[in-house]
Amino acid sequence: MFSLYKKELQGYFFSPIAYVFIGLVTLIFSGFFVWWIYTAASTQIEFSFSYFFYYNILFTTILLIPILTMKAFAEERKNGTEVLLLSSPLSVTKIVMAKFLAVATVLVLAMIISFIYPIIASIYGYVVMPNLIASYIGYLLYGLAYIALGLMVSSFVATPGIAMLLSVAVSLILFFMELMLGSSYIASIPVISDILYWFSNQAKFENFTQGFCQLSDLVSYVTEIVVFLLWTIISIEKRRFSRS
Amino acid sequence: MVEIKHLTKYYGSKAAVKDVSFTINDNEILGFLGPNGAGKSTTLNIMCGVIPSTSGTVTINGYNIETDPVKAKRCIGFLPEIPPVYVDMKVNEYLMFVAGLRGIPASKKRSHVERVMRRLNILDVSKRLIGNLSKGYRQRVGFAQALIGDPKVIVLDEPTVGLDPSQLIEVRDLITDLKRDHSVILSSHILSEISAVCDRVVIISHGEIQAIDTIENLEDSSNANTVLKLKVQGSSRDTVRVARGVEGVVNVSNITFVKTGIYTYDVEISSLDVRNPLLSALLVNKLDVLEVSEERKSLEQVFVKLVNQPAGKKKSLKDLLDEMTDETQENKDSESASDDNNKSEEV
Repeated sequence: MFSLYKKELQGYFFSPIAYVFIGLVTLIFSGFFVWWIYTAASTQIEFSFSYFFYYNILFTTILLIPILTMKAFAEERKNGTEVLLLSSPLSVTKIVMAKFLAVATVLVLAMIISFIYPIIASIYGYVVMPNLIASYIGYLLYGLAYIALGLMVSSFVATPGIAMLLSVAVSLILFFMELMLGSSYIASIPVISDILYWFSNQAKFENFTQGFCQLSDLVSYVTEIVVFLLWTIISIEKRRFSRS
Repeated sequence: MVEIKHLTKYYGSKAAVKDVSFTINDNEILGFLGPNGAGKSTTLNIMCGVIPSTSGTVTINGYNIETDPVKAKRCIGFLPEIPPVYVDMKVNEYLMFVAGLRGIPASKKRSHVERVMRRLNILDVSKRLIGNLSKGYRQRVGFAQALIGDPKVIVLDEPTVGLDPSQLIEVRDLITDLKRDHSVILSSHILSEISAVCDRVVIISHGEIQAIDTIENLEDSSNANTVLKLKVQGSSRDTVRVARGVEGVVNVSNITFVKTGIYTYDVEISSLDVRNPLLSALLVNKLDVLEVSEERKSLEQVFVKLVNQPAGKKKSLKDLLDEMTDETQENKDSESASDDNNKSEEV
């Protein structure tokens, strides 16, 4: 399993994909950082890292994570290398886990680079540490959930491009569900708003950015990750039955 | 050793493989022969655990591929139809990765990969991207991948497709060489491939096994009576008379006119020893022999026959060969009769 993980990770860094991903994440982070400082309250410069993360993660998850995950299974299928993995003494679960961990590593690297913003901020001012730490935990879990989603979509199709478009579409649908949750009409019907809340990642992430690390949110993210990964495994196993 | 028992695979309601059973012994090269779409690749993919079977069992070195996949897959090296190579990796990186997949300890990986590369003559391209290699080299890299980890059983799905003749010979030599410490199963739809290297042949068509036999059996039975094709200058009547006079000549038939004074003949002889007396007899009678060639009952014909026979009707190769001999005999007899008539009119 480690060799597959290593190969996947090398694949991301030998091709421009990982650099593009980390670069864009950092660019978006920096852009928001600068913008936030300019537009911060004039007399006492104060801005919230929470919102900072909140907007950043939308771009990262919806647009950038699909770039990382699109190739995972779709390309293997396209090139016929899937056979190599399936005929090797690795179970499908291990194959999926290795790929998941490889993408997760790239995300973690991007996150480590983003440490520079709190560091810069702490040099010139004061950073609320509990909020920041909780935000990072939320950021990681949120990102992992979307990685699992991207892998699942990639295991459904045979073309990386389609995998990417589909992942973006699914992420957007999840995002619009969020927006609907905010509308007063939906909020007036508790059943629908409750159900939407169960599936809403943003709302839970907001809790994290406020410095709340709730067990229910943690469990919800972890469940999401597990469900998507299981679905990926099932989808690959299912395809084994029908492939010729 | 690989045992395949009552293997069946359905795609929806369509059966791709029906009740296939055979075994591969240790240190044996088994040829798996069938036309395109006969179920060869499906069977091999099931053997290697890439796809599951609908029913039936595959046992590799005593491990069932369904219930004990990890141990069973350790004993198998698989080269699928399309070499499963990553085009964005270098050859040695790729092979190191495969070595890791097969669970070779890190300390032994490098030397092992080097040994396999040397064996396949790809050391000189080891630092090149696989995507930049020619098809022949890619095929060899795929081959190397199957050998990594020294698996007991090596499964090759059409390994010679797209290779040039010299590479073909190299691959054949390699496969024969593999026999020393591996069992090899090799699929192809080209008969000469199979007959060149394999000890036994399994012929499959429409998802069913049509015959399992050794190449020797096949050739023995097909050589029962050798037919010499002769091109002789001189009177056809004299030639037939002289040839029939030689002891051991069974029949002279299929006399065809080439140009004035030159005819070709099919001379059936009981053994190859008759050839020299026959030729000298012809020469003594001032009949110039322009061409001699030996016609073997080609395995190709057997193959076509087996593959085209209605499903469900299974016969051994020997039966079929006998049947074919009878048929050709009849044809020849009738032809020669009519030819003789023509000749007498001409002359």
